[in-house]
Amino acid sequence: MTMTDDLAHDSAVELAVARLVDEFRPRVRPQVVGTVVRSCRRDLSGVPATALPELVERLARTRLETVG
Amino acid sequence: MGFVDVSGVRHTLPDGRVLLDDVSFRVGEGARAALVGGNGAGKTTLLRIVAGDLAPEAGTVSRSGGLGVMRQFIGSVRDDTTVQRFLVDLAGPAVRAAWDAVEAAELTLMETDDEPAQLAYAAALAQWGDVGGYDAEVTWDTVTVAALGVPHDRCKYRELSTLSGGEQKRLALEALLRGPEQVLLLDEPDNYLDVPGKRWLEERLRETRKTVLFVSHDRELLSRVADRVVTVEGGTAWVHGGGFAGYPEARTARHERMAELRRRWDEEHQRLVDLVRTLQQQAANSPDMASRYRATQTRLARFEAEGPPPERPPQQEVTMRLRGGRTGVRAVVAEQLELSGLMRPFDLEVWYGDRVGVLGANGAGKSHFLRLLAGQDVAHTGSWRLGARVVPGFFAQTHAHPEWLDRTPVDLLWHGEPGRPGVDRGRAMAVLRRYGLTNVADQPFRTLSGGQQARLQVVMLELSGATLLLLDEPTDNLDVLSAEALEEALAAFDGTVLAVTHDRWFARSFDRFLVFGGDGRVYESAEPVFDEDRVARAR
Repeated sequence: MTMTDDLAHDSAVELAVARLVDEFRPRVRPQVVGTVVRSCRRDLSGVPATALPELVERLARTRLETVG
Repeated sequence: MGFVDVSGVRHTLPDGRVLLDDVSFRVGEGARAALVGGNGAGKTTLLRIVAGDLAPEAGTVSRSGGLGVMRQFIGSVRDDTTVQRFLVDLAGPAVRAAWDAVEAAELTLMETDDEPAQLAYAAALAQWGDVGGYDAEVTWDTVTVAALGVPHDRCKYRELSTLSGGEQKRLALEALLRGPEQVLLLDEPDNYLDVPGKRWLEERLRETRKTVLFVSHDRELLSRVADRVVTVEGGTAWVHGGGFAGYPEARTARHERMAELRRRWDEEHQRLVDLVRTLQQQAANSPDMASRYRATQTRLARFEAEGPPPERPPQQEVTMRLRGGRTGVRAVVAEQLELSGLMRPFDLEVWYGDRVGVLGANGAGKSHFLRLLAGQDVAHTGSWRLGARVVPGFFAQTHAHPEWLDRTPVDLLWHGEPGRPGVDRGRAMAVLRRYGLTNVADQPFRTLSGGQQARLQVVMLELSGATLLLLDEPTDNLDVLSAEALEEALAAFDGTVLAVTHDRWFARSFDRFLVFGGDGRVYESAEPVFDEDRVARAR
């Protein structure tokens, strides 16, 4: 629960969600985009902060392309 | 803090010769130990064993504190290595491995941008952070600013070959001195550095709290930095626990002690052999003597089994005979001389017997000036002349003779050249023996060490009958012993000497100094001047 809250306020997550929601609308619902991005963020938990926004968005895009 | 402990190390060459045996020494925390020895004695091999590049045949090397290594070739890198790659290679093994993993993951990602590739890249970046890679990048930024005056980002893709030898050395030294490794192995760190660069190196090595083991032939640097001296000679190593100032006396005393112990052993051995012989004869006639004979035989066998003490290391036979000869009182006279575009006009009178050190900025025309006096074609204005009976002999920096590379010393002496008559093989071998060059007499010049090449040039000066020696950095590449032999030969030389040098120790043996300034001014000084700025020229 705490982790979800942290992720919700993670700027890497917020920026990626905003961009990917636009990019994948209307094929993928915004809620799905948010779930996928948060999942990617968790998978990339060891990555240095400076590289995180780019890697999260890139991985989420790859995964969304497979589901979308 | 770190240390190095070498114990009972042995190394055999591929041809079966034992290069090092029973080498033991310790460089304790914060010590600055110099590693010295003649050319080919095994210094670099020992350094490679300490670095872990070579496994010793016997014995162990213990280290703590992380190891930073500066190899001898740094300063002459001419391949496509970039500044970034160079700095990565100087870092510890964990940083190197993490960097290589990031690079490999990036390449994969460029070819296949799928989920496994992205996760592998992310893992490589995480590992880079874990091993301190981001801290290393901050250090590299400081290092490139200090060494090259630009941030890492602006020079990381620059090829190392575009840097001068001194810049390459400086970059490596800054990286190692600022890095986390606590033990530094430096193989000739001062090569390619000018005198201000050497002074900087001395200060940095004196103030560092790291443990340093370094190889150098620069006697000034050795005397200022080393607090102990590890000598590789006679197939093993020994340690002088003090600085370089007391080293020559300590070495001589050690050699005399070894010779004395060996002499006593030989005498005692001979006495026992003689006694056994005498008792053998007496035992034939007297049963009483038979038991004494057997006891003495046993004693001799035990004495021989223990073996003799080690021999005194073979002395490097370097006996330079620069004879020279009486010339006119004025050996060199120059009036309003100017080498085109290099300097302002200057006057000079050099007298018979003078020892003139030619010092100054790189690129100010020192070597050209010597070449002009040697009779080579150098563009100039003004006038110059040599005195009566003055015969110039020119000693060039060793890389200045491409035509010698495939010829052997005997061949070079046999054929002679203008101003130097050829000599037969017998005389050639005799003179090569005096310079300790017999074992390389039939090897191509290119395979000779720097010190051997330099000594061969002195041979040629001797045979040319020169009365004016023009020496261009003669002590570069000479080991300490050869440099001292050269100094002794010059002191005994009956003639005049002009020598370009950056060797502060060597320069002390001169009595006048001609300084080529970075601003084009050429002036005389009673004291050596080593801090003239490099000549700034549009490139």
